Amino acid sequence: MKDVDPNKKSKMLVMAVMCVYVLTVATNLGEFWPFSIYPMFSQGGKSWTRSLVREMPSSDSVSWDATSLENLPGTPFSVKANGVDPIDLANLVSKTVTWDSIRVAALEKMMFGGAVPDRNLMIFKVQGRLTDQDDVEVSATPFVLISPGRDQINPSIVP
Amino acid sequence: MNLHLSDNLFGFDLPDSAGQRIFRKVFELFIAVSTCYLAWKWGMYTLRISDVVLPLGVARYVDISFMHGNALPLWNAAFISIFAVFGFAGFRGIGRWAYAVAFVLLVFQYAARFSLGEIPHSSNLVGMGLLGYALGRIFFDQPLHGSRFSVGFSYVFVGLSYTFAAWSKLIATGLLWPDGRHLWMWINEKAVDEIARSGFVHLNYVQEWALGSMVLATLFLLVGLLTEFFAFFIWFKRFRTATALAIIGLHMGIWMTMDILFTLSVWELTILGLPWAVWIDYFIDKKLD
Repeated sequence: MKDVDPNKKSKMLVMAVMCVYVLTVATNLGEFWPFSIYPMFSQGGKSWTRSLVREMPSSDSVSWDATSLENLPGTPFSVKANGVDPIDLANLVSKTVTWDSIRVAALEKMMFGGAVPDRNLMIFKVQGRLTDQDDVEVSATPFVLISPGRDQINPSIVP
Repeated sequence: MNLHLSDNLFGFDLPDSAGQRIFRKVFELFIAVSTCYLAWKWGMYTLRISDVVLPLGVARYVDISFMHGNALPLWNAAFISIFAVFGFAGFRGIGRWAYAVAFVLLVFQYAARFSLGEIPHSSNLVGMGLLGYALGRIFFDQPLHGSRFSVGFSYVFVGLSYTFAAWSKLIATGLLWPDGRHLWMWINEKAVDEIARSGFVHLNYVQEWALGSMVLATLFLLVGLLTEFFAFFIWFKRFRTATALAIIGLHMGIWMTMDILFTLSVWELTILGLPWAVWIDYFIDKKLD
């Protein structure tokens, strides 16, 4: 390629990268960093699932019932203040199919960075959907309770 | 108006100037510094990860768990930084391949960091910029040609990226994508993210406006979609600054409505989109006068 005109060479290189770009995103669900089809926010109106954390008082009784954001039990807890990206937490919760001990341990490591838990943290799975009345309905379901004694999983998702 | 793409993107046949040299070096510095920043940011966070939930990119072919549970992400960040510095310094020999090595190592760093399901796009433009410099160094003997290719390569893929984003929306949802109710869903989704992030959420006035008016919410989405669709106009000098400013405006809109700011992309657009070279040359001429 030494004697090739720089204009021609540039075109060839851009076309070659485009080919690799198309091939990699076509065979890897649209993502092969830094190549992407940029699908964020492409599906309008689709229901979503996120996650949030509340610090819970020490008590034996745990309610696993879904609730609204206004009626969440416990006190607010900032995952960012503990070095956790909320999107990672949301994905770990929403994309996990089987909540085995490995996945619960991964969640505990994410929240406490490998240290022994020193408080009770309830991880909520939050789901939003568009209703027929054009309202956005949001409900939060307790999923996993990480506590100093032992972790507990919502009985409805125990494998 | 010259619509010849090679002239608009690379300008190999055009005379060089001090302004252009400074502009190109500043852009290269931005790419090198951003590469180091991402390498360390991702490396530090990867130390918290112990399980692969969703393998991405290269992790679909290589078991990326070898990067978890040890200090490898930090070593990788150190190597990426060293190679980025070698590349920027333009050392003979190793300098030719330094950006390419940094790029490959950064691909692994990304795969190790983003194995929990999050698929962010805030770093893609920097990744493409780094690839452009890697190719420019390897395939062009004259530094001027290599440097001009690298900047032009970034113009190509900055424009394509946003246009691809518009196509994705039109293909996945169709012409009704700018329905204001979709924005309501995303504002609520991001509000939950904010509660997770800080423990609380307080909607700003733009979010309140959008949630209070379907027409306004629809207008926000429509302007955003059109801006993305025509982002490839950044390929042409005549429209470059206007297109870059429109995309920066798009990012500001996304920031105000959904609390997401792609800081690196905004910086890259600011460097690439504004006529810095012209301004610098004008300033130098004025000073010499």
